[in-house]
Amino acid sequence: MPSSITEVYFPVLVQGVIAIVLAAALIVLSYVLGKRVKNKIKDTPYESGITPTGDARSRFSVKFYLVAMLFILFDIEAIFLYPWAVVYRELKMFGFIEMLVFVVLILSGFFYIWRKGALDWSYSDRARGKR
Amino acid sequence: MNLLTLLLALPLAGFLIALLLPRSSPHASRTWALGISLLTFVVSLALPAMFDRGAAGNQFTLDVPWISTPEIHYHVAVDGVGLWLLLLSTFLTPICVLISWRSIQNRVKEFFAFLLLLEFGLIGVFIAQDLFLFYVFWEVSLVPMYFLVGIWGHERRIYAAVKFFLFTMAGSVLMLAAIIYVYNRAGTFSYPVLLDMLQSGRLSFAPQEQLYLFLAFFIAFAIKVPIFPLHTWLPDAHVEAPTAGSVMLASVMLKMGTYGILHFCLPLFPSASRRCAPWIVVLAIIGIIYGALVSMVQPNMKKLVAYSSVSHLGFVILGIFSFTQLGLDGAVYQMLNHGISTGALFVLVGLLYERRHSLEIKDYGGVSTVAPWLATVFLITTLASIGLPTLNNFVGEFLVLQGAALANYTWAVYAAIGVILSACYMLWLYQRVFYGEAGEQVRSHLPDMNLREWAAVVPLVVMMVWMGVYSQSFLPPVSKTTARVLSQAQVNVPFQVQLRPNTEVARAR
Amino acid sequence: MPVSNFVNPADLVRFLPEIILTVMGTLLMVLDPVLHKRSSYAFGHLSLLGLAAALVASVYAFRDPGPAFGGMLMVDGFATFFRVLVIGVGILTILPSYRFLARHDAETSEYHALLLYSIAGQCLMVSANELIMIFLGLEISSIASYILAGYLRDDKRANESALKYFLLGSFATGFFLYGVAFIYGSTGTVNLTSVHAALTGPNAPSPVFVGVAAALMFVGLAFKVSAAPFQVWAPDVYQGAPTPVTAFLSAGPKAAAFAIFLRIFMTSFQPIANGWEPLVWGSALLSMTIGNFAALLQSNVKRLLAYSSIAHAGYVLVALTARSDVGTAAAMFYLAAYAFMNVGAFAVVSHLSGRGERYQNVDDFAGLGQKQPLTAAMLTIFLLSLIGVPLTGGFFGKFYIFKAALESHLVWLTVLGLLNSAVAAYYYLRLLVMMYMHEPSEAATNAEPLSFGLSAALILPALGTLVLGIFPSWVLEFAGRSSNLVK
Repeated sequence: MPSSITEVYFPVLVQGVIAIVLAAALIVLSYVLGKRVKNKIKDTPYESGITPTGDARSRFSVKFYLVAMLFILFDIEAIFLYPWAVVYRELKMFGFIEMLVFVVLILSGFFYIWRKGALDWSYSDRARGKR
Repeated sequence: MNLLTLLLALPLAGFLIALLLPRSSPHASRTWALGISLLTFVVSLALPAMFDRGAAGNQFTLDVPWISTPEIHYHVAVDGVGLWLLLLSTFLTPICVLISWRSIQNRVKEFFAFLLLLEFGLIGVFIAQDLFLFYVFWEVSLVPMYFLVGIWGHERRIYAAVKFFLFTMAGSVLMLAAIIYVYNRAGTFSYPVLLDMLQSGRLSFAPQEQLYLFLAFFIAFAIKVPIFPLHTWLPDAHVEAPTAGSVMLASVMLKMGTYGILHFCLPLFPSASRRCAPWIVVLAIIGIIYGALVSMVQPNMKKLVAYSSVSHLGFVILGIFSFTQLGLDGAVYQMLNHGISTGALFVLVGLLYERRHSLEIKDYGGVSTVAPWLATVFLITTLASIGLPTLNNFVGEFLVLQGAALANYTWAVYAAIGVILSACYMLWLYQRVFYGEAGEQVRSHLPDMNLREWAAVVPLVVMMVWMGVYSQSFLPPVSKTTARVLSQAQVNVPFQVQLRPNTEVARAR
Repeated sequence: MPVSNFVNPADLVRFLPEIILTVMGTLLMVLDPVLHKRSSYAFGHLSLLGLAAALVASVYAFRDPGPAFGGMLMVDGFATFFRVLVIGVGILTILPSYRFLARHDAETSEYHALLLYSIAGQCLMVSANELIMIFLGLEISSIASYILAGYLRDDKRANESALKYFLLGSFATGFFLYGVAFIYGSTGTVNLTSVHAALTGPNAPSPVFVGVAAALMFVGLAFKVSAAPFQVWAPDVYQGAPTPVTAFLSAGPKAAAFAIFLRIFMTSFQPIANGWEPLVWGSALLSMTIGNFAALLQSNVKRLLAYSSIAHAGYVLVALTARSDVGTAAAMFYLAAYAFMNVGAFAVVSHLSGRGERYQNVDDFAGLGQKQPLTAAMLTIFLLSLIGVPLTGGFFGKFYIFKAALESHLVWLTVLGLLNSAVAAYYYLRLLVMMYMHEPSEAATNAEPLSFGLSAALILPALGTLVLGIFPSWVLEFAGRSSNLVK
């Protein structure tokens, strides 16, 4: 067993060093090996074409918010799985059933938003007809 | 089955069935209401026949538990006072049905249903021996009257109905608070048990406590009577109500107040009653004279009769608070008299209104030439109302004045002024309406009385004469009860005839 | 730990109503995209079925009362009384909703699902024996009702209503939670009984902290029951929300909030009752007075009933001020009577208001007595009960409350409260006057005939009001037996 603080955190240090080295290596390699075309468009921050400047109060489609909210919901629900995974041996069958119930609830929520068309970016006519 | 319960059940059943009658045939509703109210009256006649006139206490008692927490009983019984007031209600209801026969043309079914519900409430008020039950009936009788005035009344009916409801409601919530307070002190709503506890000293109220409780009850009753400064709802309600509503209101509902004072206030709070008596007497005398003076200047017949009620009811209050046997007897008798004679006046004014469609005195004149029988009956009623000997009011007023004189001579003198004034306004009314030249409108619109109207009026006239000539048919049970009330009102109070120096009375000027 | 510590069959039975409601709500949501629009009545039927099942489950759970989940829940008479009450309110809300939703072309399952979730939250609230559980129930109930208030998305007033309700409601919940934190900080427990023990025990925490906690929780709860001075939201929210939802809001969440109000203050804070009594006294008087006098001036019926609901919250607070078992029982009885008469009255408004809720003014009730005698007669019963005329549930409720208050020597509060109820008679009478004493209005003439659901939604509460008014014993006895909350 590691005893001193230095020993405890040594692996962390190693991981940090590896991460920095790897990142630096990737950037350097792409710089060295990459093929470069120099023109005005290629020099803009977003090559995909979004203008980097403009009014700060630009409007986003409300669908972004919807997706963001759904993401947060499901993300939080997924987080519940971690503590469960730690203790599920002790909970045995009870834990399994509880998690089944939980997952079924999530799935029915997922089914609901899916069939309601919330995940449909183009908001199809089928979903619109439901309302 | 208990006779009183039967008397309650009949109008209630009548009300419920009346609601189910088809709207399309108003005649069925009329006939049904007449039948059921006559039946109720006939059944109620068994009460005086079977009443033990020698006993002072409650009779026909039925006491069954109704609600367990808090203990509320369906406890009904009558004493010598409640007996006659109950009969008055059952007697007047068929008359009200008769006089509404033609005059009510829209929403006939509801009208007669409400009339029967009103009878149910009124009977209940006079027989309830459980404070809670009493309050229930007290409020229940309010609702149908509110609708009677508000739906079938004249132009300002809504204002009158709402005013009537709010005045009465404001008073009765105070009474409710007092009833609950009494219950919390005594642990029972049963009125006979309460009186027992007071007599035996197991329950007593501190003077201050008693005063507040007395006032809470008294204000509720005083609004209903109505006693002078609280009377303003009465002319409005009376004038705007349909004839049957005015009759029931004047003849029976006002008696709920005086009955309450006599039946509850005096025995429950004897020393507070005596403490307040001089002030109340002053208000009563103001009411007598003020009511009479205001009557005199009224251009509207119904309003005139309404203000005369304020004056007449003043006598009743004066009699009660004289704390003499004669005064109390007279007060009760005057309640009945007023019920009969003012009821008759409203009926007759209603008949005039049905013909001429006006309540203004100036629209009449010379009616006696076109409708001599109507004029005759009206005259008898007028004379009864004035207090002519051999007619009913005389007996009551005489007894009240005698009782008042025993208590304090000055009171009697002031009250007697009211008697004189009543002769003035009534005879003047009679002269202006029935004598003189008959106008074109009067001649063409005023047929004499028909059979149905005779049927409504004759019983009233018979009662006026009977009660005036042979009061012994009615007074003995009343005296037994009032004697008991009087003795109950003396618990812990040294009896004194001369209550207070006359300073308070002097303020009446 | 052995498994039996986690799943106790008795626990599940005691939690069964909530389970049923949640499952049914979820099922409804899943069914919505599957079923066709034509079968939209099925949603209503299904949610009625779920509520009926939950009702049976609540009664069944009471056969074996006791704590559940390690003392987090407590199924006792008190909880069962309020569970049955809120579920009953739910049923009475759904009945008039059929017609309402059809009229507004808004028949979706979300409406029913949210209603069921909200009721599940309320059931959890009333049976919780722990501040955290109470908070969870409160949130489940509130969040669902925020959405319900704005259910008609295209209606601007509904949007305003929902937004106001949400913002102020979350603020109030925050207050409540802050109070819970203070309690936990000072006593180290959130269990109501343990808090009571801690406050009476030898190491009682500083009265300042406990007082602050009680005050904070009072603010949160007073908001939820719309008691003055935290009543400002109620008229706007009640007016803007769809009428059946308003009926629900004014009876269900309110009853549940009062249930936890009573439970917390009569259990945990019972030892410091002398401290909070003046607070509740003032709030009671203020609620009654503000509610009644403001209602006098209203012309919109929903707004009028909203103010009347504030006043009625005041009456219930009078019962709380009495600080006795009798007072608690009186409050329980009153809330039951109030639920009947208020839901019934709103059902009439919902019936008459027409598409887009055009007809909501007092004037629109003119002549209803002629055009629809049954509807008018039912509303008359509700109004008389709201006034407090004998032989109706409202009267007995007031009677018991003021009786309890007088037993606790609150003479002034009683007299002022009763005078208040006389003032209140005026604005209820205005509706009666309109219905019976005026010529029929456009609204009364155009009113559709009563559908089956609406008739049931009117007749059932009317019967309930009358039964509570004529034979109140059994309800009151049950309330009396269940009102001893301090264990």
